[in-house]
Amino acid sequence: MAMAGHAQNKITVAVAANMQYTMDALKVEFKKTDSTEIEVVLGASGQLTQQIMQGAPFDIFVSADTDYPAKLAASNFAAARPEIYTRGVLVLWSVKPGVQLDPTLKNLVSENIQHIAIANPTTAPYGKAAKALMEKYNIYDKIKSKIVTGESITQASQFIATSAADIGFTAKSIVISNQMKGIGHWIELKEEDYPAILQAAVLLKYGQENRARESKKFYDFLVSPPAKEIYKKFGYLAK
Amino acid sequence: MIHFDIEKKLHSANGEFILHASGKIDSGAFVSLYGASGAGKTSFLRMLAGLMKPDNGSIWADDIAWYDAQKRIDISPQKRRIGLVFQDYALFPNMNVRANIAFALPKNERSSFVDELLELTNLVNLASRKTEHLSGGERQRVALARAIARKPSLLLLDEPLSAIDHEMRMQLQSTLLNIHRKFKLTTILVSHDAGEIIKLSDRVIHLKDGLMTPLLAPSRMFMSNGDNSILLGDIVEIERTGSESFVVVLLSDRMVRISSAACEQALSIGDSIKLTYDRNFPRITKLESTPSD
Amino acid sequence: MIEFEPFWLTFKLAFFATVILFLVSIPLGSWLSKKGNIAKTCVEVLVSMPLVLPPTVFGFYLLVAFSPENAFGGFLDHWLGLRFVFSFGGLLVASVIYSLPFMVHPIQSGFSSLPPSLKEAAYSLGKSRWDTLIHVLLPGIKSSLIAGVILTFAHTVGEFGVVLMIGGNIPGKTRTASIAIYDEVEAFRYGNANVYAVILLILSFVVLFTMYWRNRRTQQVRIL
Repeated sequence: MAMAGHAQNKITVAVAANMQYTMDALKVEFKKTDSTEIEVVLGASGQLTQQIMQGAPFDIFVSADTDYPAKLAASNFAAARPEIYTRGVLVLWSVKPGVQLDPTLKNLVSENIQHIAIANPTTAPYGKAAKALMEKYNIYDKIKSKIVTGESITQASQFIATSAADIGFTAKSIVISNQMKGIGHWIELKEEDYPAILQAAVLLKYGQENRARESKKFYDFLVSPPAKEIYKKFGYLAK
Repeated sequence: MIHFDIEKKLHSANGEFILHASGKIDSGAFVSLYGASGAGKTSFLRMLAGLMKPDNGSIWADDIAWYDAQKRIDISPQKRRIGLVFQDYALFPNMNVRANIAFALPKNERSSFVDELLELTNLVNLASRKTEHLSGGERQRVALARAIARKPSLLLLDEPLSAIDHEMRMQLQSTLLNIHRKFKLTTILVSHDAGEIIKLSDRVIHLKDGLMTPLLAPSRMFMSNGDNSILLGDIVEIERTGSESFVVVLLSDRMVRISSAACEQALSIGDSIKLTYDRNFPRITKLESTPSD
Repeated sequence: MIEFEPFWLTFKLAFFATVILFLVSIPLGSWLSKKGNIAKTCVEVLVSMPLVLPPTVFGFYLLVAFSPENAFGGFLDHWLGLRFVFSFGGLLVASVIYSLPFMVHPIQSGFSSLPPSLKEAAYSLGKSRWDTLIHVLLPGIKSSLIAGVILTFAHTVGEFGVVLMIGGNIPGKTRTASIAIYDEVEAFRYGNANVYAVILLILSFVVLFTMYWRNRRTQQVRIL
């Protein structure tokens, strides 16, 4: 990736893995108006952050949360203030036919639910949101022992999709993706019930120093109206 | 009495052949099995021991069928009451000398029998040694003591003395004779060494081209037509100096250097030969027992 | 906050996985060390497969297989009352399969290197297969057995990907030390991660040192 980054009309964007398909669509849209090639490096937000802090040659970082971009800004790796580009939607999902879905989570205590999958609440924003939601409805302590934790929202979704877990919290962008569409059933949870799952991107110093014009252009594109249409299509709330 | 009549297809360096072994060995007899390498001597012992299954035939020990192809009997080696001394001795490396012998002792046997065997095989001082620190001759004695600890009805010795130096071999031959006299075990010894065979055995069987000769007295086997100056040996070296050449022959206990004029045919190192004297002139004849040549 | 439960869990897992693999690999390794047909070669290859598959991929397949909605997982759940997803039992089964080559390979090559005459000698002395195994064959491959135990134990202690995939990170049940360390790193708590890692290293060092040391001492007794 370091080699590829040297071409003048090409930028390298580090992208949170669960933004993969959205990013494909964004690239197509961006191509319509600009000849700059976008090279995408996928990874977990945390790992990409660690790589950037170790000097990885990325021009822009598109995170799945706001903490990692903030951390990069605080550590002097950012060329500009992180921008929130979209907001995730938390859903309750099950592929088991008998499982009821209730936005107030009452049935999570029921005996036929043995395992509830969430993403790691200390590192993944969807996990943090799910935990907050359960705490809001005062059931977190009751069902704590049923919770199984995936390292990322992707892994939590695997637990649900394989029905290893009876039910779980995941992202709307996952349940409406081409891969998961039509599998099981899901409901959107009320926005006001959990802390907003904000996703931020950050223009990195590396991009600023090496390809200032191209990097800035794509960075601005991420918060432009055409990009917002794409976020909606992929299951996010345009902020 | 052991009575066998078995067939087995074997593979040797010279291709496949059928071993057909039949004969009768009286109880208490000491029989030597003689033949070229690859003739099937070891296979024959393994079939008697139950470690290899014949293709056809039967093996009877007294009135018990050990193997009978028609009656579909093939009893396991454990039940055959044999003692087997392997070419590589097969001592148990995790046990010391005494433990190797004691391991073979049947459950109801008194343990003083181990001491008796240690004494008999001259191993008393080595009883607590690990087997890996023993010399070839010492290992051989352990293997022998272990094989007879079970008081087998048939003792099978697969070239037990071939890898041992001359002096040690003499001692072990005496030990074998003592043991045979003491326990009256029916014994089959595989050996290449005519001297050894003559010294130890009552009868000898020659295994050749897949067939067994009838049991003969060793003296008859190794003596041709009343000529009692026959010697058997191996070519160990061929020397050429100018026009003359010599062969060096290893006889049972010494080496002799003889002009190659005595040779009836071309010889190479390793050939087994018969050395005879015809009116004081030596004559070297190659033994036919190496099948390929 | 440093918890000790992940260590206790890790060593419990490694201990049981090693014991189970030891018992399974002796018959399996002995069978594989003998000549055989194509079926045996297939089994030999299957045993080595965990070396090829990335742990997370292997873990994902197990997750699918163990899921109560699928035929195998359903059978376990319905007929045997076993749920292998998100349970210690599941981690144990996964570790046993995933560490299989680390135990089977040394034991298999140990058996292959034993001269066949040792077994035959014991048989000819009237010893049963069991007596022969216990008194002759296993002592004969002792160093292979120890190598298998050490490799398996160490490999299970360090296993991360499989545990991550099917464990569900449940404290006290499936949250092993390697997961705990990973979580700390992910959360940028490098200090805690270091403490966990150092404890894991020290404990593993002590366990492995004890095994090697005992092995060395018994070897020396052999020489005397």
